[in-house]
Amino acid sequence: MSDLTILSGNKKSVYHFEGSMNLAKALSDAGYPLVQPCGGRGVCGKCAVEVSGCISEPDIQEQKLGVRLACRTVLFGDAAVVLPNSGDMQQIETGGSVKTETVDPLGSGFGVAIDIGTTTVAAKLLNLASGREISSAARINPQTSVASDVMGRIGAALSGELESLKKLIADALSEMLAELCAGAGIRQEEISCLVVTGNTTMLYLLTGKNPEALSHFPFEADCLFGYETDFLGYRTYLPACMNAFVGADITCAVLASGMTNRAETSLLCDIGTNGEIALWKDGTLYVTSTAAGPAFEGAGISCGCGSIPGAIDRVSLEDGMVTVHTIGDAPAVGLCGSGLIDTIACFLKTGGIDETGAVDEDFLPLSNGVVLMPKDVRSVQLAKAAIAAGIITLMENAGVQTEEISTLYIAGGFGSHLNVESAAAIGLIPEALSDRVSVIGNGALTGAEQMLLNKGMIQDGERIVQLSRHINLGGNPQFNNNYMEQMLFPEQ
Amino acid sequence: MDLQEISVQLQAGKAKIVKELVQKAIDEGIPAEKILKEGLLSGMDVVGEKFKNNEIFVPEVLIAARAMNQGTALLKPLLVQNSTTSGKVCIGTVKGDLHDIGKNLCKMMMEGKGLEVIDLGSDVEPETFVKTAQEQGCQIICLSALLTTTMGVMADVVKAAEAAGIRDKVKIMIGGAPVTDAYCEQIGADAYTPDAASAAEKAAEFCA
Repeated sequence: MSDLTILSGNKKSVYHFEGSMNLAKALSDAGYPLVQPCGGRGVCGKCAVEVSGCISEPDIQEQKLGVRLACRTVLFGDAAVVLPNSGDMQQIETGGSVKTETVDPLGSGFGVAIDIGTTTVAAKLLNLASGREISSAARINPQTSVASDVMGRIGAALSGELESLKKLIADALSEMLAELCAGAGIRQEEISCLVVTGNTTMLYLLTGKNPEALSHFPFEADCLFGYETDFLGYRTYLPACMNAFVGADITCAVLASGMTNRAETSLLCDIGTNGEIALWKDGTLYVTSTAAGPAFEGAGISCGCGSIPGAIDRVSLEDGMVTVHTIGDAPAVGLCGSGLIDTIACFLKTGGIDETGAVDEDFLPLSNGVVLMPKDVRSVQLAKAAIAAGIITLMENAGVQTEEISTLYIAGGFGSHLNVESAAAIGLIPEALSDRVSVIGNGALTGAEQMLLNKGMIQDGERIVQLSRHINLGGNPQFNNNYMEQMLFPEQ
Repeated sequence: MDLQEISVQLQAGKAKIVKELVQKAIDEGIPAEKILKEGLLSGMDVVGEKFKNNEIFVPEVLIAARAMNQGTALLKPLLVQNSTTSGKVCIGTVKGDLHDIGKNLCKMMMEGKGLEVIDLGSDVEPETFVKTAQEQGCQIICLSALLTTTMGVMADVVKAAEAAGIRDKVKIMIGGAPVTDAYCEQIGADAYTPDAASAAEKAAEFCA
């Protein structure tokens, strides 16, 4: 029997194991699951940890990134691991740029707004009388240890793991509530209510509903929520989802943007592994979702990594030279999502990449051995074409021209770090809209806060769902054509 | 002019240049059929081969196919008099399934082989495949499925073709992530191919 000592923040725990064991697996079993967007292939760098003791030598991937990866490290005996603070490590977005204020709160005392994302969970404790934010908490969705994406999670639920998925998220939320209260010095009984938002699948798993209907055509959710329930003994409102693919998180983000309260035509995008897009025009909210894949999270990119120290996060052209900035100004170890988009934008300008995505060289050097490979450009093309074609197809269906769109709201964690100019230069978002962008941060969480502080917002959320119209992109010939066209980069 | 240049530009996905060169070739009086075969189709052949060997990826294929479409659009009006197609295929993603990227790649590659392809889209009923093959005189029915839950529809298409009495007149080809050779044999289809380029080769072979 060997011991793994785990240090997380100021918490210390010991996990016992027999023989040898993969570190990521040990951490997951010990209740500290790490997010693994690359599926444990050692390429994304998201599970970087400090570890010492009786462990394997760094393998080639770890040497390349210059860090120890939980997914690649094998424990042979007693060892100690220091986990990065979950907040810094993942840069989970809890901030929002939209102001919230108390009007007619859902309850008395304190309330908590929670957004359950496929990868991360974010929560905020609010004083319902003053509307003031008391504390916030974020962590990785522990269900990622079962499957990293939505479809994988639905598959697991259908093969008998529904109850354990439900328990994983319930336990995590319960701990987060305790953590929020401890941090704020209040008793848990002082919390009167919760608003828990998330994508449709996450709410199914939270409430223990069988997601069978979400697993196959015609993908019609048999429950869209939008009701009050009891969760962990708290009065809890679950905002309404629009359909199987556009969930309550987008309902809340649309609410936070306030777009449906205005007459002008506007667009909202949440860019992630799945891109959700909403277009508001003449009283109808056209919505869709498109599969971009994990390229923007750095997965499947040769030198891709998460937002870790040394990740190249910004790239620009200074006097025609490609110049990089790294997180913490550390020597470059990899390329994270925002840096990836900047890099492509720069090389499109220098001619290192042409409009078809072709690269003449074997690779494009960045800094300290971090390079962009031709196949990385291809991965980005697939991801950006899916988002851009989704936007265009939605606009065509609503009969909207780019000029009419007054604002492009960008929601979500990835969008908060995105350089808008670069996004336009690679054709991820329409060029004409780059001067009309409003970045709203974690709009899902902001919308949930608004619902806590103003009961009227709950009705507004339900109204948003009623006004929504889903445009299906799967098998849509218009989308296919746009997808092919958007595979190209804009001519520079 | 050298038609090889059209092929080279098509492989690079340079749609604008391909269009210009095709127009130039037409203006020079080169027969449309020759431009199609030696310029566009030979270029798409190279793309298909490289794709099969994993030298290039989906974006390059789509971008090259886009260039080919723009070139063939110019040739189409000149080609109608004497049909150059060597065979007719109807293709679709089966009932209950909406995934069509793979199916679209197959279609492009088959057109690249000079076959006429009728695209039935996705979520297609078994009867629609059979009816189209009958009415349009297709030699091949091509089926795609990406879900294990919809793969079973492929067997229904084979049965529907038998029931309609056309089973001996059409070849049934199947493909998609969950599909295997063993499954092909099990349901009595004629061929399984693992990728779009092999599918196009097999289809051309069946029509030869």
